[in-house]
Amino acid sequence: METAPVSRRQFLATVSALIASTYVPAWAEIWQPGPEDAAKRAEMAEAALARATALGASYADVRVNRYRRESIATRERQVQNVSRSTSGGLGLRVLVNGAWGFAATNRLEPAAAREAADQAVAIARANAVLASRKVVLAEAEKVVATWTSAFTRDPFAVPLDAKIAFLLELNATALAVSGVSFVSSQVLFVDEQKYFASSEGSRITQRLVRTYPQFSTTAADRASGDFQTRAVVDRAQLVGYEYVENYPWRQDAEKAAHEVVEKLKSKPVSAGRYDIVVDPSQLFLAIHESVGHSTELDRSLGWEANMAGTSFLRAGDAGKLRFGAAIVNLVGDRTQPGGLATTGFDDEGVKADRWHLVRDGMFVDWQTTRELAPLIGQQRSHGCLHADSWSSVPFPRMPNVSLEPAATEVTLDDLFSGIKRGLFIEGRGSSSIDQQRYNFQFGGAVIREITNGKPGAMVRDAAYQSRTPDFWASCDGLGGRATYRLWGTSADGKGEPGQTNAVSHGCPPARFRQITVLNTAAV
Amino acid sequence: MLARDEALKICETVLAHARGAGAEDAVVSLQSAVESHARFADNRITTSGRSEDLDITATVWVSKRRGSITGNDPGADALKRMAEDAVQIARVSPVHREYVPTLGPLTYPESAGFAPTTADVDFKARATALEQVLTACGSAKVIGAGFHTARASATAAATANGNRRYFRSSEAGLSVTARSADGTGSGYYSADHFDLAVLDTKQVAAQAIEKALQSRDPKPIEPGTYPVILEPQAVADLTGFLVNSFDARTADEGRSAFSAKDGKTRLGEKLFNERISLYSDPMHRELPSVPSTNEGVPASRLTLIGSGVLENLEYSRFWAQERKREPTPGPVNYIMESSQPPASADDLIKGMERGLLISRFWYVRLVDPRTIVLTGLTRDGLWWIEKGKISHPARNLRFNQSVLAMLAPWNVEAIGASRRLSPLMVPALRLAAFTFTSISDAI
Repeated sequence: METAPVSRRQFLATVSALIASTYVPAWAEIWQPGPEDAAKRAEMAEAALARATALGASYADVRVNRYRRESIATRERQVQNVSRSTSGGLGLRVLVNGAWGFAATNRLEPAAAREAADQAVAIARANAVLASRKVVLAEAEKVVATWTSAFTRDPFAVPLDAKIAFLLELNATALAVSGVSFVSSQVLFVDEQKYFASSEGSRITQRLVRTYPQFSTTAADRASGDFQTRAVVDRAQLVGYEYVENYPWRQDAEKAAHEVVEKLKSKPVSAGRYDIVVDPSQLFLAIHESVGHSTELDRSLGWEANMAGTSFLRAGDAGKLRFGAAIVNLVGDRTQPGGLATTGFDDEGVKADRWHLVRDGMFVDWQTTRELAPLIGQQRSHGCLHADSWSSVPFPRMPNVSLEPAATEVTLDDLFSGIKRGLFIEGRGSSSIDQQRYNFQFGGAVIREITNGKPGAMVRDAAYQSRTPDFWASCDGLGGRATYRLWGTSADGKGEPGQTNAVSHGCPPARFRQITVLNTAAV
Repeated sequence: MLARDEALKICETVLAHARGAGAEDAVVSLQSAVESHARFADNRITTSGRSEDLDITATVWVSKRRGSITGNDPGADALKRMAEDAVQIARVSPVHREYVPTLGPLTYPESAGFAPTTADVDFKARATALEQVLTACGSAKVIGAGFHTARASATAAATANGNRRYFRSSEAGLSVTARSADGTGSGYYSADHFDLAVLDTKQVAAQAIEKALQSRDPKPIEPGTYPVILEPQAVADLTGFLVNSFDARTADEGRSAFSAKDGKTRLGEKLFNERISLYSDPMHRELPSVPSTNEGVPASRLTLIGSGVLENLEYSRFWAQERKREPTPGPVNYIMESSQPPASADDLIKGMERGLLISRFWYVRLVDPRTIVLTGLTRDGLWWIEKGKISHPARNLRFNQSVLAMLAPWNVEAIGASRRLSPLMVPALRLAAFTFTSISDAI
């Protein structure tokens, strides 16, 4: 089912009809927490903590959280789905005899909070039989604070009509490009209202608002049965509706539409070794997989061996192992503006931190929590404990991990200029990396040849393969501050039961020498 | 976990509020679940917990305009607000062009996949079982890590047109990774069942330990195309991408592996080896499922691949209406099996002159949807076979391989017995060719 391009006049008529019925959802008001809500949350938390302590917990913390999400999905000229969800509940973590227990309930009543404490303590006691080593937590300050992420327009107070009009305009823009067969677009808004209380006296209230626009264009040649897709899916940020209003989304949609049409007609890549320049829209993913996950200390210690895997980095490597070229500096940062993993305090009340993981090409530090830090002789946690829901057990999760730009203003053209035969790789293709984070293969959404310093024709079916230490050692060029961009993934999976984490990675474009490129259609 | 009457009462309460607010059609669905788990590594339980939750979703239509709300608060005020908000969303939404009236009264059998023991885990008994796993690992001088989970849920739905349904289901599982102390060997094994009491934790541990010990000190193999034996876990790791391609609409729109030239689909083509069948059956004895699709269509046996032929694609209620046919009664699970007596694991190896035995794949991703080309890596057990015997462990490899080519008529040499790896049941396969593109250092 192909669709003809919509005219600008038709489009405006549709949008006008929608805007005639402007509607601000009632829940915009319902969701503003008042004194009663705060008192109820505190009552639940105190009931759970008191019971856990009375039953013998040496430490306990509780999160009483509410999440709301609004999702709008469209395809071509129609709205597929408008949905809103809310989820609230309590999750209690206890340490008894040096072993953890956890229980969670959606029933926000003091009796249910006490029941959760009974269950969490019973689980910890049962599991303590197997505790070959008692859990010891790093010191943390007692914190009483309130923190709200930066946004100027609350997306939940914006009329639904405006959001629908935004998406349909993206679709119309893409469909106006000849050769585009399908387009879909979605926007998701997330509002996390979190209350943390610990047996050590911390009491922290936080609110985080995230905005996730994304879209995808497809060109299909029905006669030959061939098709290609160009998706823009990794632009979510910890910001409000101003992101929808201020960023030039239509330009992106138009560009993506032209790109997918060109991609369908492009020639296959010739497999071989290339110098590659990787755009932030792709490099963020390489950073995420090869740096973000390899520097998680819980992985290195084997705690994720059954699922996500371990790491090629070992506990004694910090400060001793060369990770990449000397120009490579990577930071863990839970304070980065707009970063999806930015927060005021983590899920055990540790203040957000910024620290180097790789400095001047050397691996220097890990991602840690209060439980992990003492295991490598550190006194303080870097604040990496996170749970994706009130019902999930908090565990070590990745902060924003970002690559610092060059100190001078290096442009994209400067990076191209040193290349005789290369490829410029933008956007997300398929991505895969082994369980110790050595061997990876990444595709791209748009890949162009670079010949004698100039980007040219698009090629298809290309993916680059490398080994993490070799890849970062081959980096010999970074863009300057003006080329630095923040991209992120909203669904980084880890753990059992699986949890998702939203995390961003800032970076400039970077050049890597003599990287293996496959033709994935020819293997 | 809510009983039938409690669950349907909540659904009907929201339904009544929605009608009162002006909804002309509506479906209210609910899921009530309790989950308990324990993760272990580092010779101890690392995280362990229990959670209970309830999700209620009201989807309503007003003048064919649609609105949907999900919440987890069953309080009287919250249920009323949920229905009213859904109606408010519907009123300001454009016409839902894919509206299909909700289902009327239908009869469904009881779900066969529920065991009450799975809903109520005894924490001490679980700790004892996991202690045995860790003791077995210790005795074999391997480091054990794993995950024990038990989940039970009730799903219910009520529609404005009179459909009422309620099902219970449960699932318990254990997976164990054993790593040799010298870090050169690793083994993985997992099992699951709807009845926790049936889960054989000792057998899972024994299999993982054996693989770890047998995979120590692997030797590199040059990347290239080799004959392979895929154990059921490895087949399961790839089959998910195949079953995601059965959507009829995507195929009809010309953007699926099952799209053909000139706007046609590949239905009726013999794309796969003639011994391969893939079907869905909610009453399957080993892998029973809820006897309803997510849309409420009563599920029954549905053949997707029969004797190697692509027999059916999955039609949603909307797409079936567009194409003037019935929606498909599934799939709700996926059972792949051979039409001939299965080969034993030993026979699969004995019949191979030279090639690779693969335990499992990791980080498998779709590279090209046109032919379902996947990339990923071997993990937790890879061995070189020479003249019908396991010769030695091999270093892990990255593959790039089309699933269609893998299961093509000429590529499947032998098929083993199918094993439950929920929501799949898949056999071991011996294949003539499988393509690897690089070596991985990972253990």
